[in-house]
Amino acid sequence: MTFWQKTYAFLERETRSATLVRVLLSIAFVLIVWELLTATLVTNRLLLVPPQEVFEALMREVRSGAVWTNGLATCLAVGASFPVAVLVGIAGGLLLSSSRLMSLTAGPMLTALYSVPIVALAPLVIAWLGLGFASKFVLVVLIAVFPVLVTTETGLRSTDRGLIDAARSFNASKWQIFTTVTLPYALPFIVSGIRVAWARALVGIVVAEFFGSFAGFGFAILAAGQTFDTATLLAYVMLLGAMGLIGSLVFEAIERRLAPWRQE
Amino acid sequence: MTDDATLHIRGVNKTFLRTGKPSVEALRDIDLTVKDGEFVAIVGASGSGKSTLLRIIDGLMPASSGTIAVGSRAVSRPGPDRAMVFQNDSLLPWKTVIENVGYGLAIGGMARAEREAIARRFIELAGLRGFEHHYPHQLSGGMRQRVNVARALAVDPRILLLDEPFAALDAQTREIMQAELLSIWGRQKKTVVLITHQIDEAVFLSDRVVVFSARPGQIRAEIPIDLPRPRDLEVKRSLAFVQLVDEIWKLIEHEVRLGMSLAVD
Ligand SMILES: Nc1ncnc2c1ncn2[C@@H]1O[C@H](COP(=O)(O)OP(=O)(O)O)[C@@H](O)[C@H]1O
Ligand SMILES: [Mg+2]
Repeated sequence: MTFWQKTYAFLERETRSATLVRVLLSIAFVLIVWELLTATLVTNRLLLVPPQEVFEALMREVRSGAVWTNGLATCLAVGASFPVAVLVGIAGGLLLSSSRLMSLTAGPMLTALYSVPIVALAPLVIAWLGLGFASKFVLVVLIAVFPVLVTTETGLRSTDRGLIDAARSFNASKWQIFTTVTLPYALPFIVSGIRVAWARALVGIVVAEFFGSFAGFGFAILAAGQTFDTATLLAYVMLLGAMGLIGSLVFEAIERRLAPWRQE
Repeated sequence: MTDDATLHIRGVNKTFLRTGKPSVEALRDIDLTVKDGEFVAIVGASGSGKSTLLRIIDGLMPASSGTIAVGSRAVSRPGPDRAMVFQNDSLLPWKTVIENVGYGLAIGGMARAEREAIARRFIELAGLRGFEHHYPHQLSGGMRQRVNVARALAVDPRILLLDEPFAALDAQTREIMQAELLSIWGRQKKTVVLITHQIDEAVFLSDRVVVFSARPGQIRAEIPIDLPRPRDLEVKRSLAFVQLVDEIWKLIEHEVRLGMSLAVD
């Protein structure tokens, strides 16, 4: 009894090791359900293959080198476009929050763009820029920029009036108010925007690679799908899932680090 | 000239103009002089313009008309001669106690080592030794408010402005904080303007209680408090104390009953 209570208390904690154990537990849970599904309900191997076979397919791709080719293509595209999206998003958020007029004018448009699924523009972007890096880059930037921009602006605007008054009371200049109050207050907001943007960027890159490229995870998934190689398809999906999970954990950790007072 | 920290409030009016809505007259013809080293408390129903007056004194907002002067110097913006303790705790949540206490000094451009030495002194004065590297969310409400007071004192202002600093605290903590404020004031001899809606707090702490009428805020009465100093919590049980509280309560009872609910003992 006490052993279970202790385990439960440990798992509820916000420590890094507890987070790790929770992640491992949920992965194990998914694997078990998956295994059971393929053993009982879904016996058609075109629809679903057991985890074991996916793992074997992954090893095959590793040995043939295909994983590295595709991984490099995807990581290069995301690695180049995502930081740009973040920087542009933050700059745009700064700009908008600095001018009431601009924010009022651009606000409705941004809200619209934020809610529109920009992946729908993929065919258009590819028609403009052709197959390959450029279209991936532009699509991911377009998709990832808005969550960052909107949360940056919200974060900068939502600063506690009381904190600003306290700074002003000490005769702080506008710049001092920005660096000591507004920006630190907005940072956790910005990071949570980046976290959302990361998930969207992964969707964006896969879609871009579906439509137009010769390498990348999305390309490999489409190719595997066309040859009914479900195991390989799922292997690449797992890799994307891992990227998403790792990114999300990292950004969450940064958020916690920046805003420890939001816990408890 | 800079030696004299007398606060002169002359003919201050404040009307808030709001687009599309009727304007609000918050203060009318406020004339008040707070002598160097004097402790003045302002009481009045909520909405009677007390915070507005304090913000005008601090320079956070302009008066519609009238002047504020410290000694012979007119002031219209925040300056190192005045410091404010806000009602809701306005500490930076991402900074430790020592960084928060040194915040005003950092804004003033003081080097880290120097301001940390000063901050340490005021942390000690506020009874927070050992909590230098705690974050505000790790402290109780009373401790946070002490950090607020320490932060204001650290810049060594001549005039200390306190806007209902203990309102959010429970009764016991409030009594302790009142006593601590008195002992700090006893040692530092600042000019103090304290806003409170606790009449007993006003009487216990101050040399003079200024009673505001409801909106627009006007000075209805000034009651000198000649209870002997130094005062301790015993004073609160003396007949003179109870009579003073009662006298002030009668002055604002009607308005207070309209505007808020509070009990006097
Ligand atoms: N920035 C503002 N804009 C418009 N009205 C305000 C503003 N600040 C205060 N007021 C109004 O002025 C009056 C006095 O407010 P305040 O000074 O906060 O009173 P108190 O501190 O005595 O409770 C209130 O009616 C309040 O609504
Ligand atoms: Mg007030």
